[in-house]
Amino acid sequence: MLLASLFTEPVGVAHYVAVGAVLFVCGAVCMATKRNALGVLMGVELVLNGANLNFIAFSQPALYADSAWALGLDGQLASIFVIVLAAAEAAVALAIALNFYNNFTSIDVDHADELKG
Amino acid sequence: MDFHSLIHWVQQDTLESLRLFAPELVLCATIVVLLLARMLLPRVQNPMVVTLVGSLAAFWLAVDQMGNPQLPQHAELFTGLLVFDQFMVFFRVFLTAFLVLFVIFTWRSGIPAPEDGTDFYALVLGAALGMCLMTAANNLVMVFLAVEMASVPSYALSGILKGRRESSEAALKFAVYGAGAAGVMLYGISLLGGALGSLHLPSLAARLGQVLAGHGGEVGQVVLVLGGLMIMVGLAFKLSAFPFHFWAPDVFHGAAAEVGGFLSVASKAAALALLVRTAVGLSYVPPEAPSVAQVAAPQAQGAAEPRGAQAAPAVAQARVLPTAFAAPQQGHAPDHAAQAPQQAHGGAEAPPASRMALNQALVPARRFAAYLIGLLAALTATFGNLAAYGQTNIKRLLAYSTIAHAGYMMMPVAASLMLQDEAAREALATLLFYVVVYLFMNLPAFYIVALLRNRLGSEEIADYAGLIRQSPGLVVCFAAVFFSLIGLPPLAGFAAKFAILASLAHAGLWTLLAVAGLNTALSLFYYLRVIKVMTMDPAPESQPQVSIPLAASADGLFALVLTLPLLVIGVYWNGVFGWAVQAVAPLFR
Repeated sequence: MLLASLFTEPVGVAHYVAVGAVLFVCGAVCMATKRNALGVLMGVELVLNGANLNFIAFSQPALYADSAWALGLDGQLASIFVIVLAAAEAAVALAIALNFYNNFTSIDVDHADELKG
Repeated sequence: MDFHSLIHWVQQDTLESLRLFAPELVLCATIVVLLLARMLLPRVQNPMVVTLVGSLAAFWLAVDQMGNPQLPQHAELFTGLLVFDQFMVFFRVFLTAFLVLFVIFTWRSGIPAPEDGTDFYALVLGAALGMCLMTAANNLVMVFLAVEMASVPSYALSGILKGRRESSEAALKFAVYGAGAAGVMLYGISLLGGALGSLHLPSLAARLGQVLAGHGGEVGQVVLVLGGLMIMVGLAFKLSAFPFHFWAPDVFHGAAAEVGGFLSVASKAAALALLVRTAVGLSYVPPEAPSVAQVAAPQAQGAAEPRGAQAAPAVAQARVLPTAFAAPQQGHAPDHAAQAPQQAHGGAEAPPASRMALNQALVPARRFAAYLIGLLAALTATFGNLAAYGQTNIKRLLAYSTIAHAGYMMMPVAASLMLQDEAAREALATLLFYVVVYLFMNLPAFYIVALLRNRLGSEEIADYAGLIRQSPGLVVCFAAVFFSLIGLPPLAGFAAKFAILASLAHAGLWTLLAVAGLNTALSLFYYLRVIKVMTMDPAPESQPQVSIPLAASADGLFALVLTLPLLVIGVYWNGVFGWAVQAVAPLFR
């Protein structure tokens, strides 16, 4: 029902948000199932990009019937900030993964099980 | 609005904002000095001293803004990204004071190693900067940026012990969980901001009020609830609240005790401030918050008469700017008057009645937030206390104790959302009071753990057996900290916990009150077990020499300095509480 209306309607915010939601779910599944630390970090990137797509779609007044409800420049700026932060986070996370590899000779997150209780 | 006046306004706004932003600027400058000193003066530089001077300067500047009548009471900085009020000033003083104590702590405890000093302190200062931003966030993008700025250096900090398997495992777990939680939070922000068409918290609250009152077009409630829940995921991760607490015990266990102290006090306080900012920000439409440029304008006019004539029209025009930037096409929106108090000059002054009506419409949002936070608080406190039972490592035990206390500290937030006006402010003041007391409970605890680690080479509770015969003063300090964590009079922990319970009773949250009371009883046993090991168990034959006299050594003296406020605040708590009441005055209006 909902899906059918997505296919028949002209492209609007809903379509972009649907793609964003798919990206988010892919990222979440990736984070939950990947055993390789780099795979998990890729999942995080997918989630961030899903959110970014939302920001861009919501910021586009042309997609709204009442453009007062669009995010405007705020949304586009938010997505730029997120791209920068994602890069910073990836840099730190990769350094940490490398440090982990030095100590464990593996980046399998399942090997990170010495601390528990 | 021509281009010239736009530039003029931005310039004025930025300059005035920077003036109020001075403590953070000093922290930034300290980081730069630290990094340059290593490059230019590698032999003489001492990162500890640089950091100490920098954080003292930041502390002094922050204290200077406390209750200063010359500063605006409530103003927006940087075109509405941050908000300046006494609540933010309170937490900034708290965080910079913590930073000063923390630097002395690391000086005494010997971690970081000399060659790591610059990295360590640069990361600590960077995280503290992010935490200061967390307490002042007024825009959802800022919320995300501040959380990341505080988190990313913390990941690296928890892995600072080189060549240790535990430390690298802790850092990896922290980074992976943290990145995941931040991603979910960002998605929630995009949903909530997108559905309501703004990222600026006061505008969001006004839009939310309209939607809840039924004038919101076709915004689905599912989207709003989902967005709110996802933002809560990110906040719960920072708070180490159930069910996003898994990282905390592992990180505290694997990382150095110093890092544990930093995360458990500063990070938690900032996360609580951010929780208040988002929960209250989303469920109350605050009164007019002028941008600093406007606040400063009358003074500038008085001071420089010739410029005055020119400045006045620019300022009058400037008032439209923040929203003009935010959403260019919203001039005709029905919510025009209500959502942006800055637009007051256009003759569309928001009548108080409409703000009142919006706040009335937001009651369900407040209830939802209160129940959500209350539920998480109850689960967090109970889980933390139950899991602390079986612990044999003192850092792990303190981690679970931190989780439990995060639960206690979330309770007054729920209570204040159930209450109105003055009562709500009083409930929230109990949180600020608890945060101050919490500093003097957890920092000495981690400090003593670090001291004992240096002497004993162990952080197992069993190795503390019979310590009282070697260093009685230190054990008494440790016991005082634990009694305060339990909440026994006459220590400050009692006053703080009692205030929280009173606020819960006031708000009529009887279930939460019962849970908090039950948890206090539960926590008694595992804290007392540690004290029993230290005082009653016989010392093992091979125990190394660990005599740390309280008065005669710098190490012991600092432990005393950190612990003594527990007794002082426990007896004379009016001063701190009055300060907390003053700090929450701008909220719930």
